[in-house]
Amino acid sequence: MSSPAVEVKDKDELTTAREIFSNMVDRRVMTALETCVRCGICTESCHYYQSNSKVEHTPYYRAEMVRRLYRHFFDPIGRAFPKWVGIKETTGDLLSKLSDIAFATCTLCHRCTFACPFGVETAEIMRVMRGVATATGHAPEMLGELANAAITKEENIDMFRDIYREQVKDLEKEAQDKLGDSKARIPVEEKGHRILYVPLAGAHTITPQAILLNAAKESWTLGMFESSNYAVFLSDPVRAKRITGRVIKEAERLGVEEIIATECGHGYTTLRWEAEKWFGKLPFRVRSILEVLDDYVKEGRIHLDPSKNLLPTTYHDSCNLGRKGGIFNEPRRVIKAAAKDYRELIPNRLESYCCGAGSGLVAEPDWMNIRMEAGKKKAEQVKSSGARLVITSCDNCRLQIADLSEHYGLNVEVSSVSELAVKALK
Amino acid sequence: MTVLQTVTAGIALVGAAIFLAGVIYNITSGQLRRYQAEKAPIKGSPAQGVLWAFSLGLAPWAKESARIHWVAYLRGVIVHLGIFITAPYLIATPWLELMPEPLRIFLAAYFGICALLGLVGFSMRRADPGLRLLSTPDDYFSLGLVTVFLALASASAASTQFLPAFWVLSGITLAYAPFGKIKHFMYFFYERVFVGLVFGRRGTLEWKHE
Repeated sequence: MSSPAVEVKDKDELTTAREIFSNMVDRRVMTALETCVRCGICTESCHYYQSNSKVEHTPYYRAEMVRRLYRHFFDPIGRAFPKWVGIKETTGDLLSKLSDIAFATCTLCHRCTFACPFGVETAEIMRVMRGVATATGHAPEMLGELANAAITKEENIDMFRDIYREQVKDLEKEAQDKLGDSKARIPVEEKGHRILYVPLAGAHTITPQAILLNAAKESWTLGMFESSNYAVFLSDPVRAKRITGRVIKEAERLGVEEIIATECGHGYTTLRWEAEKWFGKLPFRVRSILEVLDDYVKEGRIHLDPSKNLLPTTYHDSCNLGRKGGIFNEPRRVIKAAAKDYRELIPNRLESYCCGAGSGLVAEPDWMNIRMEAGKKKAEQVKSSGARLVITSCDNCRLQIADLSEHYGLNVEVSSVSELAVKALK
Repeated sequence: MTVLQTVTAGIALVGAAIFLAGVIYNITSGQLRRYQAEKAPIKGSPAQGVLWAFSLGLAPWAKESARIHWVAYLRGVIVHLGIFITAPYLIATPWLELMPEPLRIFLAAYFGICALLGLVGFSMRRADPGLRLLSTPDDYFSLGLVTVFLALASASAASTQFLPAFWVLSGITLAYAPFGKIKHFMYFFYERVFVGLVFGRRGTLEWKHE
């Protein structure tokens, strides 16, 4: 029997869980919760299942666990006759079990939605579950710390600004050397430019793009803040809004016409598709650097020579950019212009498999083994493509595929569209 | 109409009334939840997306899962089509004797096949360890109810003497439908619309690609 203190704590936790659950279940999620009939047709659609065929790795299993919580809380039949609708656990047991399921066994890739005859959005159900787990203190600490670090950065931005500008000077020199143009610049938070380019924390998301933007004679400035938003992985709308809000405020302050997100899956999706839900209509356009590069190639603003990249090359669709963001063709067109031997991973586009590290999985060191197993299918795809160079437009995917290469002995290089384009610049 | 027919038709009507009330309850409780519409400028087309969701998005050749589970998928399509046909059939049953003989024979055969496929559904659910683990009493009850309902639809199309039994079962099935697993019949349409609207808007759903 539990001690009174534990009972009070549990009661508080359950009350919080119920409130957050109720707030986050909108019509779309409610529909996903009500529609599944447990037919099992989605089974093989999940990369976790493909790598380790156990029932816990099926989309319908993990969604059904959340459904039990939903029925516990909100379904009249579930409340009156819990066993009739499959509820076997206590609510507390379900809560702790579900935190693990939501964070470690689902990358919110949405692949199963398109495998389901109904289109059940299991990823949306898991997103809600992540929110409930975060609010009740069951979320992975690392994701929370990374989200808080982004907020702290904004609060202390004056401390970072000068250091950042100094560091960028070194990158500017690299860009000038590559272009043979001493006037090439990496302006940081300068007013009067058309574009605010939002990078990640890493020179590989600044220098290549700076080279290409300069080569295209673009009017642009580099932002102080990175596009990544770990609170999105936590399904914490308050912190997520605040982190994205840093970029929005920066763009408004600089008066730009466009925000261009770097090659970052969730960063792009958040800025492009979620930000207007939080901030209303934005006074500027949001695009991915992939769309910009595609335009530059089409308009002849940059010229690429495919003979400079002779390695068999393939492209991995990031779930956020592709399935959830609608960016399938743009990177492919740029890659085909920049590489001689392009080949597709099978399947790809809407049916592309997740790399196995999406939605924050890559950030948690303890999950290394989980993500190596979850990426087995991707590793097999890469291997059978015969590619020696894998291009991907998401830093999560990039890290994961590099780790998969080492783990599974794939012996492939991993790079971004921007880096490939820089190599191919005429 | 005989007394038996009147009473059983009454049961069907009561079931239909509960069905309507249940559907209204479900729709209302759904509408009370907020809907966070996509607001960002469109990349594709929401309307085209919804069209895709109800056409190519359901086509077995365009769906990896349907290609793998084609037996289950085909079974599902046949059974669900049969269930949808029972709705106008049920409304027409008071005038069943006026229905052309070939149509009645066809319906009897089709509903009979659907009922058999309902039984197949039981064995598939029991045979797969994953499905067996997660199947609820509601799943089995709903499947059983619909299977008997289809069997009686078939029998009544073949012979009007089964009409009273069909009407009683119709009443029970209709009354239960909005509250158990069978309620997915209405959420199916919502789900496809949501998928079409969201992913169509984002330009994800392609009729063909480059």
